[in-house]
Amino acid sequence: MEISIREVAPFRIVSLSGDVDLHSSPQARQAILDAIKQKLPLLVELEAVRYMDSSGVASLVEGYQAARKQGTEFGLAAVATPVMNVLKLARLDRVFPIHASVEARLTRDA
Amino acid sequence: MRTDHAHQLTEKAAHGELAGKAELLGLLASVSQEFVASPVMGETLANATQKILDYMDTEAVSIFLLDASQQHLTCVACAGPVSIEGLTIGATQGIVGRAVASGSVQMVRDTASDTDFSGAVDEITGFRTRSILCAPLTLKSRSLGALEVINKRSGDGLFSDDDKQLLQALAGMVSLAISNAQMTEALVEQERIRRELDLAREIQRSLLPADGDANFPVCGLNYPASEVSGDFYDFFVLPDGHIVWGLGDVSGKGMNAAMLMAKTISLFRCLGKTMPDMAQLLTRLNDEIVETASHGMFVTMVAGVLDPSSGEVRFANAGHQPPLYRDVDGAYREIEAECPPLGILPEVCYVEQTLQLDAGRLFVFTDGVTEGRTADGEMLGLPGLLALLDENAGEPAAIQLSRVASLLNRPGTRLFDDLTMLAVG
Repeated sequence: MEISIREVAPFRIVSLSGDVDLHSSPQARQAILDAIKQKLPLLVELEAVRYMDSSGVASLVEGYQAARKQGTEFGLAAVATPVMNVLKLARLDRVFPIHASVEARLTRDA
Repeated sequence: MRTDHAHQLTEKAAHGELAGKAELLGLLASVSQEFVASPVMGETLANATQKILDYMDTEAVSIFLLDASQQHLTCVACAGPVSIEGLTIGATQGIVGRAVASGSVQMVRDTASDTDFSGAVDEITGFRTRSILCAPLTLKSRSLGALEVINKRSGDGLFSDDDKQLLQALAGMVSLAISNAQMTEALVEQERIRRELDLAREIQRSLLPADGDANFPVCGLNYPASEVSGDFYDFFVLPDGHIVWGLGDVSGKGMNAAMLMAKTISLFRCLGKTMPDMAQLLTRLNDEIVETASHGMFVTMVAGVLDPSSGEVRFANAGHQPPLYRDVDGAYREIEAECPPLGILPEVCYVEQTLQLDAGRLFVFTDGVTEGRTADGEMLGLPGLLALLDENAGEPAAIQLSRVASLLNRPGTRLFDDLTMLAVG
């Protein structure tokens, strides 16, 4: 799994790629929680994720719950098909705010 | 005459040297044997410091070890007029710290003229340190601590180069012994953890239901991928004859998943005895889990109830992968979840679905089944699972399930994920 982090004001974008599994999800979790700790609105970009297991989904859930608790925005963007399938199966597509792309979320407010 | 005398002296000296070497070897052998024989490092080190004190004829000996953070040195054993056992100093403090940091023997003939010497300990103990010889304890370039001797008693009261070499030899042996003792301690700790995991596995297995008889209409199986499982299944009969059943999968793996599994199955069994509506049951279960869940952990679960007299099944699905209904003619229907998993959002209203078995069978399973690997390394997948169920359709459900499991859980291979299945009807 690769993580890249960038700022697109006012958002922090955490971009994940590759396999988000039991081995790599702790790093994803840390990157997500770091952004939330700084009270930054956060988009997790999942365009290049090939595989995500339940521990990866749990990292997203934890981020979502933490952001919700403190009232900051949390969303998923450009969700790759394998991840979308996992989210749909668990009906989590109805829980997470999902955007077609980072740009789509940015232009929504423009 | 002079030559004879000189010869005699040389012989005597040689004899003395030999005797000295023999004595040294004796000391090394006796201390080494003690290290091997005694599993208690503290006692053995205390005996070793006393022997080194006697042999090197010094007033005090102490062994300092680095802590796990490598930030502090603690005296773990000492011999001499005052005890400094338990004394902790900074890892670079004093002559001991200097020996550890430099990795070389430090010889201080006069402490008064060495700025690194701290008289703080002497002030507390009343002991007067005049000269110090301190050797680092290392093993394969890993610093363990230091062995220090203080105040030579014999001769001019100063340490010699011979003393330096001797202490270096002793430090090598002590290092090896300490390293062995630390490895033994790590092994003992590993063994303790393994026993606890075995116990956790036994307790977890006891949470799963006992097999019913061959004609019982609900059966299941669970094979954990590691010592403990994040999956579970359960079923039990209510006083009215209805059978409540459930199957779930906790996100992640390992002990944290196993603990949430234990909580969920216990709550399910307790609530299931008084709440006949499966949607209400999952709503209540979700509220409980949301309250205390951490690290984003969640549970996907299907909970249902079978009326054996009518073949009606009512069930609710919290984000679990679709149960599979196989009708009497062999046609399959996947029944997708309507609501998200347990533990994510508060106040979720789950919905109940109804199914008539009509002599068909309902299968509920975790992704460890469809994502399980067959002998050729391929993922079983849903088509593979359907084919296997078809092949064994004439068998009782328990056999049908075990045929699927045995294809994935082969002797000598390790499961990638927990494997759990349940059949109703």
